Amino acid sequence: MRAFDKGEIKPGVHHPDWVPDCLQVDPATLNAPIKTLKDKFELLPAFLKVRGLVRQHIDSFNYLINEEIKKIIAAKANEKVTCDTDPNFYLKYTNIQVGKPSVEEDFIVEEITPQQCRLRDMTYAAPVTVDVEYTRGKEIVTNTSKNGVGGVTIGRIPLMLRSSRCILTGKSEEELARLGECPLDPGGYFVVKGTEKVILIQEQLSKNRIIIDIDNKGEVGASVTSSTHERKSKTNIVVKHGKLYLRHNTFTDEIPIMVALKAMGCESDQEVVQMVGPDTAYASLLLPSLLECSALAIFTQQQALEYCGGKVRMATRMMYSRNKRSKVDEARDILAGVVLAHVPVPAYDFRQKCVYVAIMIRRILHAMVDPTQVDDKDYYGNKRLELAGQLLALLFEDCFKRLNADLKRQADAVLSKSNRATQFDIIKCIRQDTLSNGLEHAISSGNWTVKRFRMERKGVTQVLSRLSFISALGMMTRITSQFEKTRKVSGPRALQPSQWGMLCPSDTPEGESCGLVKNLALMTHVTTDDEEEPLRSLAHVLGVEPLLLLVGQELHSPGSALVFLNGHILGVHQDPARFASDFRLLRRRGRVGEFVSVHTTTGNVYIASDGGRVCRPLLIVENGELLVKQVHLDALKAGRWTFNDFLTQGFVEYLDVNEENNSYIALYESEITPETTHLEIEPFTLLGVCAGIIPYPHHNQSPRNTYQCAMGKQAMGNIAFNQLNRMDTLMYLLVYPQKPIVKTKTIELIGYDRLGAGQNATVAVMSYSGYDIEDAIVMNRASLDRGFGRCIVLRKYGCTIKKYSNRTQDRIVPPTPAQTGPNGRHRLLDKDGIAAVGEKISPGDVYINKQSPGNTRDPLPNPQAMPDSFYRPTAQSYKGPQGESCVVDKVMLTTSDEGQFNVKCLVRHTRRPEVGDKFSSRHGQKGVCGTIVEQSDLPFSERGICPDLIMNPHGFPSRMTVGKMIELLGGKAGLQDGKFKYGTAFGGDTVTSLSEVLVEHGFSYNGKDLMHCGITGEPLVAYIFMGPVYYQKLKHMVLDKMHARARGPRVVLTRQPTEGRARDGGLRLGEMERDCLIGYGAAMLILERLMISSDQFEAQVCTNCGLLGYKHHGTGRNLCQQCADGGTVSALKLPYACKLLFQELQSMNICPRLTLSDA
Amino acid sequence: MSKADGDPRQRRPNIVVQEMTEDTIKFVLTGTDTSIANALRRVIIAEVPTIAIDLVEVIENSSCLCDEFIAHRLGLIPLVSHKAADMEFPYDYAGDDETVTDVPIELRVKCVSDQTEDVTSNDLLINGDYTQYDTVKPVHYRPSGRAFGDATASGAPADGSQADGDKHPILILKLRKNQEINMRCVARKGVGRDHAKWQPVATAVYRFEPEITINEDLMATLTEEEKIKFVESSPTPVFRYNDQTRKVEVNMPESYTYDGECLKWAEDMGKPGLVDIRAKEDTFLFTVESTGALPPETIVLNALKVLDTKLEMTKSELDIVKSEMDTAGVE
Repeated sequence: MRAFDKGEIKPGVHHPDWVPDCLQVDPATLNAPIKTLKDKFELLPAFLKVRGLVRQHIDSFNYLINEEIKKIIAAKANEKVTCDTDPNFYLKYTNIQVGKPSVEEDFIVEEITPQQCRLRDMTYAAPVTVDVEYTRGKEIVTNTSKNGVGGVTIGRIPLMLRSSRCILTGKSEEELARLGECPLDPGGYFVVKGTEKVILIQEQLSKNRIIIDIDNKGEVGASVTSSTHERKSKTNIVVKHGKLYLRHNTFTDEIPIMVALKAMGCESDQEVVQMVGPDTAYASLLLPSLLECSALAIFTQQQALEYCGGKVRMATRMMYSRNKRSKVDEARDILAGVVLAHVPVPAYDFRQKCVYVAIMIRRILHAMVDPTQVDDKDYYGNKRLELAGQLLALLFEDCFKRLNADLKRQADAVLSKSNRATQFDIIKCIRQDTLSNGLEHAISSGNWTVKRFRMERKGVTQVLSRLSFISALGMMTRITSQFEKTRKVSGPRALQPSQWGMLCPSDTPEGESCGLVKNLALMTHVTTDDEEEPLRSLAHVLGVEPLLLLVGQELHSPGSALVFLNGHILGVHQDPARFASDFRLLRRRGRVGEFVSVHTTTGNVYIASDGGRVCRPLLIVENGELLVKQVHLDALKAGRWTFNDFLTQGFVEYLDVNEENNSYIALYESEITPETTHLEIEPFTLLGVCAGIIPYPHHNQSPRNTYQCAMGKQAMGNIAFNQLNRMDTLMYLLVYPQKPIVKTKTIELIGYDRLGAGQNATVAVMSYSGYDIEDAIVMNRASLDRGFGRCIVLRKYGCTIKKYSNRTQDRIVPPTPAQTGPNGRHRLLDKDGIAAVGEKISPGDVYINKQSPGNTRDPLPNPQAMPDSFYRPTAQSYKGPQGESCVVDKVMLTTSDEGQFNVKCLVRHTRRPEVGDKFSSRHGQKGVCGTIVEQSDLPFSERGICPDLIMNPHGFPSRMTVGKMIELLGGKAGLQDGKFKYGTAFGGDTVTSLSEVLVEHGFSYNGKDLMHCGITGEPLVAYIFMGPVYYQKLKHMVLDKMHARARGPRVVLTRQPTEGRARDGGLRLGEMERDCLIGYGAAMLILERLMISSDQFEAQVCTNCGLLGYKHHGTGRNLCQQCADGGTVSALKLPYACKLLFQELQSMNICPRLTLSDA
Repeated sequence: MSKADGDPRQRRPNIVVQEMTEDTIKFVLTGTDTSIANALRRVIIAEVPTIAIDLVEVIENSSCLCDEFIAHRLGLIPLVSHKAADMEFPYDYAGDDETVTDVPIELRVKCVSDQTEDVTSNDLLINGDYTQYDTVKPVHYRPSGRAFGDATASGAPADGSQADGDKHPILILKLRKNQEINMRCVARKGVGRDHAKWQPVATAVYRFEPEITINEDLMATLTEEEKIKFVESSPTPVFRYNDQTRKVEVNMPESYTYDGECLKWAEDMGKPGLVDIRAKEDTFLFTVESTGALPPETIVLNALKVLDTKLEMTKSELDIVKSEMDTAGVE
């Protein structure tokens, strides 16, 4: 309304004197550009500052350790440990808290840092303490903690880095540096036994929601996966021959829906019809089901329960009824507690559940009439993301239950004895490792086993890839789907329109998991659970009539709508549109959590506060006017406002996928119309972290961006600021990493400009030498001399000093004087028996002169002081590739928290690019180095510029990576005016502006230069497109791959050459190659390749019996054991594998006989 | 030679130096063809010997950069290479006198202050007298004296001289408190073909001199405005519009980059042949920019010498072949 205040004339209303504003103003101003908000972009860094890049993980974990953990111990089933034998005994948990990360060593508790844990192979974990109240004999003891002191420790929970209990939170860059941590590291992962582990985001279908789908018979069905703290179950209502049935695991057979409803106490058919909906169309569709029920002669609840009781599955019967109960009771319990478990049934009052079933029926019938009502399973509003916190909560509760069961068992055992020596103190029975080991083991192995949900998932966690900064970051935003990879359905793999802005459209792997593994977009947030109770009462205050006060007919009165809260039916509201807008207003004023969403469909209002919904912030537009004004953005720039102020002031709000469907979102400010409700903050945020690196991605063919997303993770560069203090198994670093000249806004936001992974190479697009076909690139040798593409490979080697049961242990000894020669294997050992830092190391060299005791089992009189002869050498020798000159970079000696002594050696190798190394630009244009050319042979421009790299122009037409061309132009312009250029998606510097800069500095506007051939000196006939492009060196290098052998090791069993480079294996002449030789008729060559060069064996075969004999080496005579005769044996050559086959057949009682004829 | 003197095809190559500064030279090479000009360019880049650090022995390195990293950086520091002429290539020299091939250089710095300290080319310690003109030393060298173990001298030159005030020394690495670096380097003579660190030049490039002729008749058909447009069509100031004569004149022909923009403009205007631009095939505008290892004129002269020796060698080899053929012919 504000906008129209001054004139009191409303547009659209016809008024005789009314002249549109635009006709009254000076025509010159009409041409002025529409005023837009400057620096709307500034909201992004502000957003990321408060949120960080991996807020979703951290929020979820914080929710676990601050709130959910309290709910778990307060749950009815967990709160109290009682004892069967002593009714007075109890142990009650009153509170629980997670402490500070610490470790107990030699009975001293010390604080630990994540870096310490990485280096010492420890777990970054914090103790979990509980406040308890319990009986000890006749007295009641309480043990509560105050300010982190006291309480009972029940175990240690691995801490997520940068979570609220982590020591890194809220630290400045300097403080982080002092703790050995990289300030750009996003956190959100765990350090377990020294390895960094990420709990990947898991994608699932929503819990507790009705999903209508069509089964493979073409029939409509409704399914609900109910999930409560105790139980998970899936309930289906299906249509069969026009009749509706309830299908559930606990029943052997489908139960007619009317029978089920009658069993739940809804005996009147009329009431059912009313609840489903008074429409005659619905009633007639429901008729067959009603008839079936009466045909079964079931009219009362008792009859229905008896019918259901007869169908209960045997296995279930065993589980739920320990003591004998009637079938009726059983059926009632199952219907109350298992079927649609999430709908509460207070004191066997099935009213809510009946309505719920009726709504399901209504939706099925609706879908039968109108097929568009069938839900799309791939619609992202129906998806929930499970994060670290939720997954750990499952595990924690499981472990906690096990701990309690353990305690109960011990209490039962001890208290059953009548006279005891000491008083029973349950606290002393608490074993900390149930919880500690349970959690630690699950995170380190990735196997999630939760018995009560019969959940068994593998690969939930992954080792954080530290190949490059981007790969680590990309891993934190990754989402895996529970969908089976082998299924050949395209639906779940396809990009869904509802994923817009939430998931990155580019970043997905190729191959089998394409489209199943996704990545979050830059601004996406994943919600955590929010309290339901306040929302429920708020909804009632806002006019929702409670369900229990309504009769069936009133559920569907015209104009009204059913109100759902997280899948529960709250009641009915008469004016759903007003209810929704009121609710939203309250949210914008901060009275309701910012992540609570409201959305309406015809006849329904859904409120969602559950965890795992994806949402993103948007600017609010009211009456065609953006609420945020330049003043506010200036305040933000000046540092007076933060992003949260925008939230609390109601300028920005989070929308989830469902609520987005109720809004009208403008992409740009100029597109705002009176109907618009929201405005995007910045369009480029629809891309994720990996795709954000690409300059001008909107000019590229889409798959190219996807390729780059995968390759950016393999690019070498800087890993973190603490990279030289890390002891990773394998680390690739670039010697001179650079900032890209053509940046994007995303690059600045995520810190890629501070931890780059590539170099700005001057690229000439031309063909040269013929060694550049098939995407190969030609490189300038002088550039390589000067350090282009030079990288450092660091590899960790090491060993642990083992302690044995007889109290002996391994030892490291200095080399003996005899061993210390200048050329010996022990040459690089220091006086402590470990390789000296800075020494060159080559294959075979000993780097840890370890010795192990000869006897590790039998008890020895004085195990600490055994003679030298007692030890045998078990020296660690270096097994690197031959001919590579590596250097010992670092040696570290540590003990882990279990007292394990570790020696770690880092071996460094500096490499310059060579022919066959892989490079890539940021546009999915990978290529290997085809040849390296002298600088004097390369073409040069008028200004004496010589390319670092020549790329073949054939790479362009089919790939259509126009973005790369613009990047080149931008790079060239950037060099000229000394400024970084922006290639941000859907924006960035325009080609026109870049060309202007070029022309200003005497270059051609199109980025082409006249060049001279370096060999002949003549000018080249064509102008050459040349300029800097950011090139990445990928981790695939020939040195790690090249392999050939003439002779080498063989497999013991088959005597054939070994396989694979690691085992110095042979190169296989495969089936297809063999086929060619057969086709050509090169019989002798086949014989040579397949037998003589492989596993030729001279066998003795008895011509008599056809079985294998042998040659007696003493006498030199051949013998057949079967015939006990030497005269009939003749020798022949056959593959050893063939001989082996015969013998194996014999061992299985099959007798292969060879029939020989003269050759 | 006497025979060639009379050859009418004999060309008279000529060099006219246009501009010469401390580190660049611009000259015009005339009276020869592309092959010779390019040969000169190639030799300048790849075959003029200079001196650079070639071997590094690491005695102590507690800095954050690894040994190879520093060694590589040391190698790339341009050293003043007048002495290269008196030195031998290590792979050619068979004698025992190391002074003929090697120049020992040391780098010894320890940081004792709380501040991060820069180790620069000024910290390189050259054995012998570095004041002499022809001694090997880094470019713009002002010894800091720190290498002598003098902790107080923190980067400032020992003699307090302020020569080359605006020339910054080359940064090698930075040290934190208590970090130390001690390396023994050997500088050797080499050529750019073996490693780019021996290249004496940053750029060595030539271009053909453009010959620009304006078709005055056609130009006269243009309006004044069009003439200005034409002048502006070239990204470089090749042409000039003379206000007095109201004519288009050739302004700076050497700034023409062969972009063909003005030709394209003329074509678009429907006036092809408005100007004629042709590369003079026997005139080369050379630009040689030195790294500081050698003065630019020396580089060119040395390159010519190298070229000369190559030709000499080819000639003597040819003579041998010729005499062999002659003797074979007699038989």
